[in-house]
Amino acid sequence: MTIALNELDSRFKYDVANEPGGENIKICFACGLCTASCPVSDIDQKFNPRKIIHMVLLGMRKEVLSSDVIWFCIQCYNCQAHCPQNVDFADIVKALRSMAVREGYVAPSFVEKVKEIDVFCQKLRHEMVGAVVSSRSQGAEGEPSKLAAEALKSL
Amino acid sequence: MGKQSGNGKIGAVLVVGGGIGGIQAALDLAESGYYVYLVEKSPSIGGVMTQLDKTFPTNDCSMCILSPKLVGCGRHLNIELLTYSEVLDIKGESGNFTASVRKKARFVDGAKCTGCGLCVEGCPIIMKNEYDQGLRERKAIYTPFLQAVPNTYVIDKREERPCKAACKEACPIHMNVLGYIALIAEGRIKEAYDLIRSTNPLPAVCGWVCYAPCELACNRGQLDDPLAIRELKRFVTDQIDIDSLKVPEITRNGKKVAIVGSGPAGLAAAHDLALQGYEITIFEALPEPGGMLRFGIPEYRLPKDVLNKEIEYIKRLGVEVKVNTKIGGEIQLDQLKKSYQAIFIATGAHESTKLNIPGEDSHGVIHAIDFLRDINMGKKINIGQKVAVIGGGNTAIDASRVARRLGAKVKVIYRRSRAEMPATPAEVKGAEEEGIELIFLTNPTKIIAEDGKVSKMECIKMELGEPDASGRRRPIAIEGSEFVLEADTVITALGQIPVLGFAKELGIEISERGTISTDEALATNVEGIFAGGDVVTGPSIAIEAIAAGKKAALSVDEYVRGEPLSSKEDKRQLEELNPGEVSVLKSRFPTKNRIPIRELEPKKRIKDFREVEQGYSVSEAKEEAERCLASQIEGCFECGECKTRCAAEAINYEMQDEYVDLNVGAVVFSTGYDLFDPSVQYELGYRKYPNVVTSIEFERILSATGPFQGTLLRLSDLTPPQKIAFVQCVGSRDPSHGRPYCSSVCCTYAIKEAIIAKEHSTVPLDITIFFMDIRTYGKDFDKYYERAKKESGIDFVRSKVYNVESADSTGDLVVKFAAEDGVVKTEKFNMVVLSVGFQSSAEFAELAKKVGIQLNPYGFCQTKPFLPMETSKAGIFVCGALSAPRDIPETVVQASGAAGDISALLASARGTLTKRKEYPPERDVSGEESRIGVFICHCGINIGGYVNVPEVTEFAGALPNVAHAERNLFTCSQDTQEKIKKAIEEHKLNRVVVASCTPRTHEPMFRETIREAGLNPYLFEMANIRDQCSWVHMHEPEKATQKAKDLVGMAVAKARLIEPLKPVALQVNRRALVIGGGVAGMTSAFTLAEQGFEVYLIERSNALGGVARRIHYNIDGEDVQQFLGKLIKQVQEHPKIRVYTDTWIVDVHGYVGNFTTEIMRYRGRVVEKIDHGVTIIATGAEEHKTDEYLYGRDPRVLTQLELEEEIVGENPDIINCDNLVMIQCVGSRNDERPYCSRVCCNEAIKNALKLKELKPEMNIYILYRDVRTYGFYEQYYEEARQKGIVFLRYDLENKPLVRQIRKGSQFLLRVEVNDPVLGDEIAIDADILALSVAMVASPEVSELAMLYKVPVNEDGFFLEAHVKLRPVDFATDGVFVCGLAHAPKSIEESIAQAKAAASRASTILVKDAIVGEGIIASVDENLCSGCGICEAVCPYGAIAVDQEKGVSVVNEALCKGCGTCCAACPSGAVQQRGFTREEISAMLSAALVGT
Repeated sequence: MTIALNELDSRFKYDVANEPGGENIKICFACGLCTASCPVSDIDQKFNPRKIIHMVLLGMRKEVLSSDVIWFCIQCYNCQAHCPQNVDFADIVKALRSMAVREGYVAPSFVEKVKEIDVFCQKLRHEMVGAVVSSRSQGAEGEPSKLAAEALKSL
Repeated sequence: MGKQSGNGKIGAVLVVGGGIGGIQAALDLAESGYYVYLVEKSPSIGGVMTQLDKTFPTNDCSMCILSPKLVGCGRHLNIELLTYSEVLDIKGESGNFTASVRKKARFVDGAKCTGCGLCVEGCPIIMKNEYDQGLRERKAIYTPFLQAVPNTYVIDKREERPCKAACKEACPIHMNVLGYIALIAEGRIKEAYDLIRSTNPLPAVCGWVCYAPCELACNRGQLDDPLAIRELKRFVTDQIDIDSLKVPEITRNGKKVAIVGSGPAGLAAAHDLALQGYEITIFEALPEPGGMLRFGIPEYRLPKDVLNKEIEYIKRLGVEVKVNTKIGGEIQLDQLKKSYQAIFIATGAHESTKLNIPGEDSHGVIHAIDFLRDINMGKKINIGQKVAVIGGGNTAIDASRVARRLGAKVKVIYRRSRAEMPATPAEVKGAEEEGIELIFLTNPTKIIAEDGKVSKMECIKMELGEPDASGRRRPIAIEGSEFVLEADTVITALGQIPVLGFAKELGIEISERGTISTDEALATNVEGIFAGGDVVTGPSIAIEAIAAGKKAALSVDEYVRGEPLSSKEDKRQLEELNPGEVSVLKSRFPTKNRIPIRELEPKKRIKDFREVEQGYSVSEAKEEAERCLASQIEGCFECGECKTRCAAEAINYEMQDEYVDLNVGAVVFSTGYDLFDPSVQYELGYRKYPNVVTSIEFERILSATGPFQGTLLRLSDLTPPQKIAFVQCVGSRDPSHGRPYCSSVCCTYAIKEAIIAKEHSTVPLDITIFFMDIRTYGKDFDKYYERAKKESGIDFVRSKVYNVESADSTGDLVVKFAAEDGVVKTEKFNMVVLSVGFQSSAEFAELAKKVGIQLNPYGFCQTKPFLPMETSKAGIFVCGALSAPRDIPETVVQASGAAGDISALLASARGTLTKRKEYPPERDVSGEESRIGVFICHCGINIGGYVNVPEVTEFAGALPNVAHAERNLFTCSQDTQEKIKKAIEEHKLNRVVVASCTPRTHEPMFRETIREAGLNPYLFEMANIRDQCSWVHMHEPEKATQKAKDLVGMAVAKARLIEPLKPVALQVNRRALVIGGGVAGMTSAFTLAEQGFEVYLIERSNALGGVARRIHYNIDGEDVQQFLGKLIKQVQEHPKIRVYTDTWIVDVHGYVGNFTTEIMRYRGRVVEKIDHGVTIIATGAEEHKTDEYLYGRDPRVLTQLELEEEIVGENPDIINCDNLVMIQCVGSRNDERPYCSRVCCNEAIKNALKLKELKPEMNIYILYRDVRTYGFYEQYYEEARQKGIVFLRYDLENKPLVRQIRKGSQFLLRVEVNDPVLGDEIAIDADILALSVAMVASPEVSELAMLYKVPVNEDGFFLEAHVKLRPVDFATDGVFVCGLAHAPKSIEESIAQAKAAASRASTILVKDAIVGEGIIASVDENLCSGCGICEAVCPYGAIAVDQEKGVSVVNEALCKGCGTCCAACPSGAVQQRGFTREEISAMLSAALVGT
């Protein structure tokens, strides 16, 4: 497939940069550390942060905002912790998501659902850690992961 | 210092930092007439280059190319080295600064130290070796590396010694207690043992029974408990099997010494004398050797096998022991006197002192010493049930505890109180634990016998009166306090005296105390008879006797050799800590009591004679040793071992730091850079996993002088790695770690290390380099990169590594990264190398602040636009990586460039402070018969320890024509130079031979010495008997000696024939010719003119300015045209510069100092001849005329220079366009031009940023292969991305496609390229296409190369003399190159190089005359056939066939004496002076036939 850059939206990168969280997108030099550090990319090669940034820089507005991959990010911030250029990909994803909603690529209800899931995950994580800590304090022994699994079962 | 002259300017320069930059600046300045102070913080000059294994891109050995510069710097008359020194402040102004410098105390006198290195062997302190990045250790006394300059050792004394080392002072033989304790603390038991044995001939005995005066003196005792020194010694000796120790090789001296008595004194003397080569016989009256050690000490304290093994060892040294041989009985003393050169009497004190009370002679009264001897000899003695022991010394305690073991109830009766007891408290405690009763303040008055056998003893109570002569309170009997106690046996232990009948007979003087009288050196009044130990002192402890034995050995040796006896009474002052010191130490060292010694339970031990003390375990010993205050410090604690070994007496512990003020006209800073510490990037695993190393550590691992002698091993298990990953950009291009800039050199050094690793590896090795952009932008670097890929098979993976983790327990590592296509991968490696980046020098930052020098935002030294070596402070210059990350050649260029700037600045003061050496007139030796002086060096024991130097000297002295032969401890020392000069005069010597070390370092010095004595310096010959004899044959001393004789014989054979050589001296024409009127040429011309030299500046075109005329602004935003205009004006108006435009070079004659160049002006109209001494070629380069990408066929396709002109001309079609594409590497980095044009990435970004400034919404796409914005240019790459410029990468195999596409009436300019991130084809319809075309050499290059006989590389650029260290010189003297004619580079880099060329040229122009080499080729015209083979092989253009005469003629000014022509000449007509065939034949026949 040939991508004709003249037909794309070269303003896209500036728009993303103007979104909260998207400010640093243009300084990416495509080293790929975000992708290498991403736990989602580990599982699903379709999710490639470097490629998403690159598509933004090339002006592929529709392709990016309509893509389901921007919703794959679990916001773990590992990419952000490692990026040498401080590009802040996790924040860029947030910017892209809100643009996708605003520009009608996804329904607001979908975002609500995502948010709910996020909140649920957060809560789950919180309770799981709490359960591990309390079982430890009650003298339980073993690997944290095992304790967590048991805690999850009890939840 | 320094007189003021030259308009108030000072003709001296301070160079700070002794790396390659500082060295080059110092050499150039000193050669240009300035006195140089070179200040370096470490003990040697050389810098980081000394640590490198090889240098890129030629893979030259770094040390090999650097070492001559180190030596040159060290020997230069006008360079004063201040190593181990630091600049504290600089005050004043340009032309006149005062620098305050601290010269740190080395504790080794540089004037005396000969660098022999013997001190190192003794030093017990092991420290981290900085030179090997801590991968190896060094001693506290050290030189950083083998070729250090100056070759003066330095002692690393980190802090004040916490204790006074009183232990050593208290020990009668002054053992290095701190030393062996420190070694035990480190777990280095064998070393500890060796250190103990080096002073103590009976280490185990002392470990078991020494009463340890050291412990009484131990300063730790003032804090809590003294260290258990004896127990630690016992621990060490217990770990070593004496029987398996190798006995040192001893050369016998044929002298015999008799020793009477085999106690500790006799054994010690025997040991030390045997080691010296004496034949020793010990005469012992008793049936077994050991004296009191065997017969006076109970088995439970000293097991017999411990003693036996020690004696066995001494016997193995060649000592004979004759037992049951009593002097005065079986053999007479005067008999011995006849057959032995000397006698040592050490018969001890075996006769007991009497009680002098009634009943003393009753049966059952035994003297302790007899009792102990009988028991030790295994006799059965019935002592009954009740035993009274009289006395309070150790013998009394020994006797009481033995009696207890025989089953008796024992009372010890002592006339004073416990406090006065001479017995060791630990022994007393042991006795009490065993149930022995101590009765103090009691004295026997009568022994009551029944049937002649003891039954009771009457005693009297005592009280203590005034102190007596011994200082103890005198016991006084209390009248009427008599009482009686029952006793079956009374053992008296009141002391012993010697038995001396035999001595009296011979007239040996006996003291009032009944001991032998000696002087301080232990000599008796009878010639040749010495005495020591208890026989002299009365009863004492074993270690005192050992001390006496050792002293006697020294005296006997001196006596036999006929030297005066040197031993003196050696009672040392024991220093205690004062209360202040104690409280400071208590806060530093928390209370920790002595580790208790495990003992057999008293109940068990009184049953037999088993050992009481059970010794320390390994961990206990370590824990106890760590209590030593001195073992806690890092660094020297003045143990004195080095001092003892230093024959040159160079060690001085009292040395203090010195502070000096230096008056200088200018300063060059060259303190280099620091390395990024990758441990902050925890995910890369550095310091977490042993097999993750930094690039500099890897460099040391690869180096032949490194920890593994050049074998590639990984650190975890010392196995050869088979798979290595290099991780690039660690601490570079990384704003998140505060290092946003590129470190410039890492790509190329990683490639170098990878290539070398593959070469060094003993197993098949795979290497992957993980990188973002490969930045091999330097001259020839890209070819190096291609070779690495194609020839060395190194894999390059474009990816930034995410993390490095442990693979498993094997030490292997897993690297995780995302490939360019987005696939996340992990790969296993045996080893990972982190290519760490440069960071600013912390050392410099502090000083810069004080002096007022500005730093740039990255903390590096700020320089001025177009003035790359000038700091913000006038008169202070900078070179090398201090101002930006840069490699060695660029550092050398800047160093010479800074020297050029300074030479111009201080021109009026040139030569005012330099020194000149004056020599006496040369003696005419023609017609004299050869009278050779041979000087043979011991080099301490470096040579003398293996080669029999006296024998070689004797051999040399007997050779024909040798008028004088002598040997010296150090032939290179200053006093020996005076001896050589005196010998030349005294013996009328006309040839000198030195047999010592290597001519590479020492020949110039000896030549100078004989020159100072009026001899031609070439009347000198050297034999290297250190490297070639003592070093390589150290295990075969006889063969080493024979070889040394052979080498000396050869040197003498040659010396007979050598003749004085007179190098030619040529006048220098002090004018310069500069070819090329661009920025480089004009800068060179101006720099030289400012120094006062006349300059001809030749330009082929009709105007000055060169390619810079087309450059309007640079990437930093500086106005190039303004700069250029000013430079042109300066050049045109300079009174010393004559500018010739429209001028061609037609012909060239001559050589360095005397060139004649013919020029043609105005296209053939005028021909002139210019005479000049040097030539600088600066002919520039030009844009490649490409035919790719529709260039020349579509007006929308431009080069970057054309684009720049259109931008400046505000062409609306360009500055208003919507889509602009740039393609990089057009004509560069391909098969045709396999080099990087270096400037194009920056050019493209510069123009793109300019366009964005003019029209921010313009879409700009830059199609690149690697973005090479090296150094601080990286910021503009970042700025370009920030401004929205899009970078698209392409591969050489998949170049962009540019074509015209018809769309309606228009032809679109379509650029298509494959995008590796998307994996898709991208098409851009460009309004404008800018091509970053290659930079190509000017067509003039090949013409000039022919005319000046200088080489050109395969890319058409001039080839310098050495790419690393002589970047602006040619092999042909007097011709230099700079600017784009050398290689593509930026304007600033051209300016630096132009100034460097001017500096190098001025080192020739300042001289009145150039003195050539003495050892050069000469042609025998009768033999020469004029074939011209020599002319073809000469690399210097120094030999040519004279067409008229038909024979070859050597140009003596140009010949370097390499000898190539001599080897090539088929008729033998060419010979090398100083290495003639006759001379070499003579050497060969001396070697093969003998002299």
